[in-house]
Amino acid sequence: MTEPLPLSLIVAIDTGGTFTDIAAFDMERGEVVYAKALTTYGDLVDGVMACVDEAGVDLARALLVKHGTTLVINTLLQRSGAKAALVTTKGFRDTLELARGNRTNPFDIDFRRAPPLIPRTRRFEVEERVHGRGEVLAEPAPEEIDRVAEVIAGLDVEAVAVSFLNAYRDDRNERAVAERLRERLPGIYVTAGTELTREWYEYERCCTAAANAVVGPRMADYTARLERRLAEGGFASTLYMMGSNGGVLSVDRTLREPIALIESGPVGGCIGAGAYGEALGIPDLIAFDMGGTTAKCAVIRDGRFGLSSPYFVGGYDTGFPIRGSVVDIVEVGAGGGSIAWVDAEKRLRIGPRSAGSDPGPVAFGRGGTEPTVTDANLVLGRIGAGVFLGGGLGLDAGAASTAIADRVAGPIGMGDRAVEETAEGMLALAAVTMTGAIRQITVERGYDPRDFALFAFGGSGPIYGSALARELDIRTLIVPPEPGNFSAIGMLLADARLDVARTMIRDLDGEGTLSEIRAAFAEADRHGAEIVATEVPGAAATLVRSIELRYRGQKHSFVVPVSEIGDASSLRGAFEAYYRDRFGHSDEAAPIEIVGIRVSAYAQTRKPDLARLPRTDDAAGETPTSRPVWFGAAGGWIETPVRRRAALPLGLAAEGPLIVEEYGATTVIGPGDGCIVGALGEIRIEVGN
Amino acid sequence: MDDARQAAALDPITLEIIGHGLVAIPNEIDANITRTAFSPLVYEYKDFASGLVDAEGRLVAQGSGSIPIFVANALGVAVRDGIAVHGIDNLDDGDVLISNHAGTLGQHLNNVVMYTPVFDSSGELFGFMCVLVHWVDVGGSTVGSCSATDATEIFQEGIQFRSVKLWSKGERNDDIYRIVEINTRFPTMVLGDLDAQLAGTLTGKRKFRAMIDRYGAATMRDAIAAIWDRSEQVVRRGVRDLPDGVWRAESFLDNDGTDGDVSVPVGVEVRISGETMTIDLSGVGGVLRGPMNSGIYGGAWPAARIAFKILTAPDEPANEGCFRPLEIVIPDGTFLSAPATAPMGMYSATLATVIDTIVRAVGKADPSRAAGGHHATFAAHWFFGTDPANGALYHQIDTGHGGWGATATGDGGGPYKTMAHGDTLDIPVEVQEALCPLLVETIGFRPDSAGDGVHRGGLGTEKVVRVLSDAGFSIQIDRTQCRPWGIDGGTDGEGADGRIEPADGEPYRLLKGVTELRPGDRFRLHTGGGGGFGPPQARDPERVAEDVAAGYVTRERAREVYRVALDETGAVDASETERLRQGG
Repeated sequence: MTEPLPLSLIVAIDTGGTFTDIAAFDMERGEVVYAKALTTYGDLVDGVMACVDEAGVDLARALLVKHGTTLVINTLLQRSGAKAALVTTKGFRDTLELARGNRTNPFDIDFRRAPPLIPRTRRFEVEERVHGRGEVLAEPAPEEIDRVAEVIAGLDVEAVAVSFLNAYRDDRNERAVAERLRERLPGIYVTAGTELTREWYEYERCCTAAANAVVGPRMADYTARLERRLAEGGFASTLYMMGSNGGVLSVDRTLREPIALIESGPVGGCIGAGAYGEALGIPDLIAFDMGGTTAKCAVIRDGRFGLSSPYFVGGYDTGFPIRGSVVDIVEVGAGGGSIAWVDAEKRLRIGPRSAGSDPGPVAFGRGGTEPTVTDANLVLGRIGAGVFLGGGLGLDAGAASTAIADRVAGPIGMGDRAVEETAEGMLALAAVTMTGAIRQITVERGYDPRDFALFAFGGSGPIYGSALARELDIRTLIVPPEPGNFSAIGMLLADARLDVARTMIRDLDGEGTLSEIRAAFAEADRHGAEIVATEVPGAAATLVRSIELRYRGQKHSFVVPVSEIGDASSLRGAFEAYYRDRFGHSDEAAPIEIVGIRVSAYAQTRKPDLARLPRTDDAAGETPTSRPVWFGAAGGWIETPVRRRAALPLGLAAEGPLIVEEYGATTVIGPGDGCIVGALGEIRIEVGN
Repeated sequence: MDDARQAAALDPITLEIIGHGLVAIPNEIDANITRTAFSPLVYEYKDFASGLVDAEGRLVAQGSGSIPIFVANALGVAVRDGIAVHGIDNLDDGDVLISNHAGTLGQHLNNVVMYTPVFDSSGELFGFMCVLVHWVDVGGSTVGSCSATDATEIFQEGIQFRSVKLWSKGERNDDIYRIVEINTRFPTMVLGDLDAQLAGTLTGKRKFRAMIDRYGAATMRDAIAAIWDRSEQVVRRGVRDLPDGVWRAESFLDNDGTDGDVSVPVGVEVRISGETMTIDLSGVGGVLRGPMNSGIYGGAWPAARIAFKILTAPDEPANEGCFRPLEIVIPDGTFLSAPATAPMGMYSATLATVIDTIVRAVGKADPSRAAGGHHATFAAHWFFGTDPANGALYHQIDTGHGGWGATATGDGGGPYKTMAHGDTLDIPVEVQEALCPLLVETIGFRPDSAGDGVHRGGLGTEKVVRVLSDAGFSIQIDRTQCRPWGIDGGTDGEGADGRIEPADGEPYRLLKGVTELRPGDRFRLHTGGGGGFGPPQARDPERVAEDVAAGYVTRERAREVYRVALDETGAVDASETERLRQGG
C-alpha cells in the first residue's frame, strides 16, 4: 500500500422497482457520473454492486455512500419477513387483528383485510396498565415477563415486538419489558412501539412495532451483506441509509428502526426538488415523479416536503398503517407502461395495470399486445422512435398505432376518427388520474395548486408536465437535469435527520400547559440534537419545531411551525391564521387543544454543488432535427424541433413546440409555452394557456 | 359554445373525463369535511355525504367517503322538498338551504342536508351541490338528541328545519343561525360543523359551476345522461346474472325498540325477472314504539338500495342510473315507512338486518352470491356526564363491531361494523380514555362465537368498559335472539348481548335503555359472530386445527361440530377424525 487515496466521492445508490440507479459526485474534479443497472430480486446487493461497476466508481475513494432501498416495503408486501411474536397489555392481545372495524368498499360482501403480520398464536399478554390520562395503574412483574420470554424462546421466532396500551403517555412499562426480553432472549430482535413512535392510537402503533420486528432481522442480514460487499470493493468510510423522512440514517439506527426506511426510494426525488427549489428561489413546488408503473406527487413548501402519518403498507383499502415520519406522497397507477383497456360498457380506462418492462408497450416489440401510455406518446411523436435507452431499443410506431386503433378506438366508438385523437384521449384520461393525485396532495391538504410551480421528473414526468400544469392552472414548470436519475441526485443531497413527535393532549389555555410544552420541546430538542450529532460527527444540529393544534373536538390536527413558545394568544393567532389560510374560516371563540409537539433535527452531510450536476457535453456536434408531433388543441400535426438536452446552452430561450431528449427522459414543451435553460441546467417552462 | 360544437365535444373520451370530474368534486369535499369537522360522528363514523344532483334532484355523483345509508339519495329527496316548498323560481343564486325534516328525509333529526342551487352561465338552473352532515346535537330530551331510547315521538328528538334558507341571495340569515345556536347543547361544535358544511357546499358549487362553464351546459347534460345509462347497463347485467324467481327470507328484531320481548318480523320478498328486480318489504313489522323507525326515504329505500348494490354492482359509483332496474315495494305504516311523527333517533339500527335479510333471500336461490348472516347490530353505547378532571360535559359514543358471514370464497371477515356502515372507524381506546373518565379493560375476540362451516364466520367480540366517575349510560343492542344465520349447511353464529356489572351489586342484562353508572361499574358488550357457509364436517381438518391453536374455536367445538380430533400437541388426529366424520 502506498498513501491512502483522498476520499473525494459522494455516492448515492437507489434501488428501485425496475432499475438500480447510481449518481457519484467527485468533489475534486467537480464531475458527476450516472449509471443504471437492473434491480436484482434474488439479492438486491448484486444490483447495487453491478451499478457501481457500470459507473466505474472506485469505492476506495468514496467518502459517503447513501443508499435507498425497497427492501423494507418489499419484505412487508411479500410477507417475507421474520417470524415474530408480539407482547401486549392484558386484554389487548387482539388489537393487531381487530384493526379499526372499517370496510373501505361498503358494498363488497367479500371484503377482507390483509391478515395481521403476527398471528394470534404468537401474541401474548402481560399484566400491566397505564391509563389514557397517564397514570400507571400496574407495573409488570419480572416473573411474568420471564414466563412470557420462556414461551417465546420455545417458538423459534427471530423477533419480538412489544406494544402496550397508552405507552405513548408513559413508556416505562414497555421499556422495562423490552429490556428484560432482550436480556432473556439473546440473539432475538426485540423492538418496542414507543421506540418508534410516541403518538397515540394503539392499533397504529402496534402495527408499527410488529412491522419493525418483522423486517428487523432481514435488514440486519441485508446491511451486513452490503457492508461486506462494499468493503470488498474497497469502501472504508461511512454508509448511510435513506430514511422515509428525507434524512439519512446511520447503519446502527437503521438496525434499530428499519421501518424508518419504508419509503426509502421515492423520498430522494422530494429532497432533490426541495434543494433545487431553494436554489432557484422557488420554494413552493409540487414534485411530480412519473415512471413506468406509477406517478407520485408531493408538496414542497419553503423547501420542505410534508410528512404523513399513518402510512399504509399495501394501500389504505386492505393494508395496515405505519406511524412515523414518512414523506407525504400520493401515488397513483399511471405510468408510461399503464395499459389502456375498454370495460364491458365500452368505457375507456387507463391502468392501473402496467405492461412494465416485460413485455412492455406494444412498440417495444417484445410481445406486448395491449396499448400503453408510452405507445400513445410514440404515435403522437412526443417520444422519438430511437429515444429509449439511448437508442438501444428501437420502437415500432406502426404496431403501436394499430394496437390503439384496434383495441381502443374501435371498441369505444372512435373508429371513424384519426387514431391520433384516440391516442391523445388516452393521454388526457391518464392525465385526469394524475391531476387527481395532484389535487389530492394539494387541495385536500388545504393548498391551492396555482400557488405552486410544478417540478417534473422520472422517466415519464417531463413528457406530461406541460399538459398537467395547463390543466391545473399552474404557470411554471421546471424539469431538472437528469430527470431519469433524479431520485439518486436527491439522495446525494440528503442530510441526516431525526423527527421527534410526542402526543400531548392539553388545553391551550390550561394551567401550566405552556411550561409543560416548553419542557417537552427542550427534551425533544436535546434528544434530536444528540442523535443526529452521533450520526454526523462534528456537524451542528439544526432544529425545526412545530406544534400540533386543533379546535377541541376535531379529530384532525394541524402542524403549525413555531420557533419559540410565547403566550397562548400568540399560539392561537398562529393557528387561526394557518387555519384560515387553508380552509377559509376560523373560529375565535372555539377552545384550542394542543395534540402534540414535533421537532425535526438536521445535521448537514457533505454535498455536491447543484450547478455541477448536469452532464457536460459538447454542443458543437449537434445537428438540429425536427419531427412532426401531434398537438390536438393546436390543430394536429406540427413540425417540431427536437434538441438534445446536453447540448442546450445555459440561458437558451425558446418557444414551444419543442422536444428535448436525453438519456432516460423526454421533455415536451407545448405550443404556446416558452422556456429557458437556467443556471443549474434546469429547463424552466412558462406554461401558456 | 354553440350547439354544434357542444354536440361534437361529447366524444367517448370527453365523456369519461367529465365523468371523472363529476365524481372528483364530492370526493374532494368529503376529504375537506373530514379534516375540519368537529363531530366524531363525521370524522370517524363518516356520518355525512356530499354530492351533486340535477335540477330535479336526481343523483349525478356522490362522494365515496361516507357511509352507504345515503346512497338512497337523501340529498335529492331534500332538494325536491325545497323545490316543492319554495317553488323553483324562488331558488336564487347564493341561496343556501337546510333541511332535517323527518317527513322529508325519514331519518333522525341530526342529519341535516345543506344545499345550494347551481346555475349555468345563461342563468338557467343546472342542479344543486349538497352536503349532509350529522350535527352532534339538535336539542331534544337527551344529550346528542338521537340516543333517547325511551323516545316515543320525534318531538322528543330535537328541532326541525324544513327547507329553510340559511343564506338568501348571498346574504347570511342571522335569525336561522341564532335558532341553530340556541337549540343545541354544543353550539360551538355544531356551528363549527355548520361552517365546514357551508364551506364544502360553496366550494362544491364553485367547482360544479366551473365544469359547466368549461364544457357547456348542454354537453354536461348529455354526459350525465350517458353516465346514467352506462351505470344502468352495468347494474342490469348484474341482475341478469342472478337467478330469476321469487325468493323470500325472514328474520326478526328483538322487540319494538323499548326492551320488551315481543319480536318484530322482517319479511322480504325479492322478485327477479331478467334485468329487473323488485324488493318487496311488505312483510316487515309496523311502526315501533321505540326510536328505531325510519321514513320511506330514510329506511326502506336505503336498505333496498344498499342490498341491491351489494348483489349487482358493488364497484360502480353511485348515481341515479344504478337504481333504475330496481323497484321498491313498501306499504305505509311499517317501521321502514313510518309517519313523520314517529321517533327516529336510531332510525338506521334496523337497516343492517333488513339488508342482510334481502341478501339471505337471494342466497336461497344461489348461495354463492350471498353470505352467512352478520352481527347486524349497531350496539351503540353512550357514556355521558361531567368529567371530574375539568368539570366539562363529555359525551362518548362508540358502536360495536362483530363477525361477518362466511361466503363461498372464504371465512367471514371482521370484526367490522354493519352492512349499513362502510369506511367507519372505531374510536381508539387511547382516545376514549384520554378524553373521557373511562377505562377500557379489554376488546378482543370471543372464542366459539362464529357460525361453523366449510368456511367459518368471522368472530364476534367482547368489550368491557369501566366508568371512573358517575356517568349516564345509554345502550341500544338488537339481534340477541335472531342469531346471524348460517348458509348452505353452515351453522348460526352467536348473537349479541349487553350487561351491566355494578361494582357492588348483581350483574344484569341491559339491551336498550338509559341508566346511571357509579364509579367502578362495568359495561360488558358481546357482539355476534358471522354465520358459517357449508357443512362444518366438510371443513379441512387442518384449518380447524389452526383455529383451535389460535383460540378462535375450542377443542370441544372442533370435536363436536367439526368432528375433528386433535392430539395433545394440537395436531389433527387423522384416524380419529375420520372415525368421527364417518360416524356422521
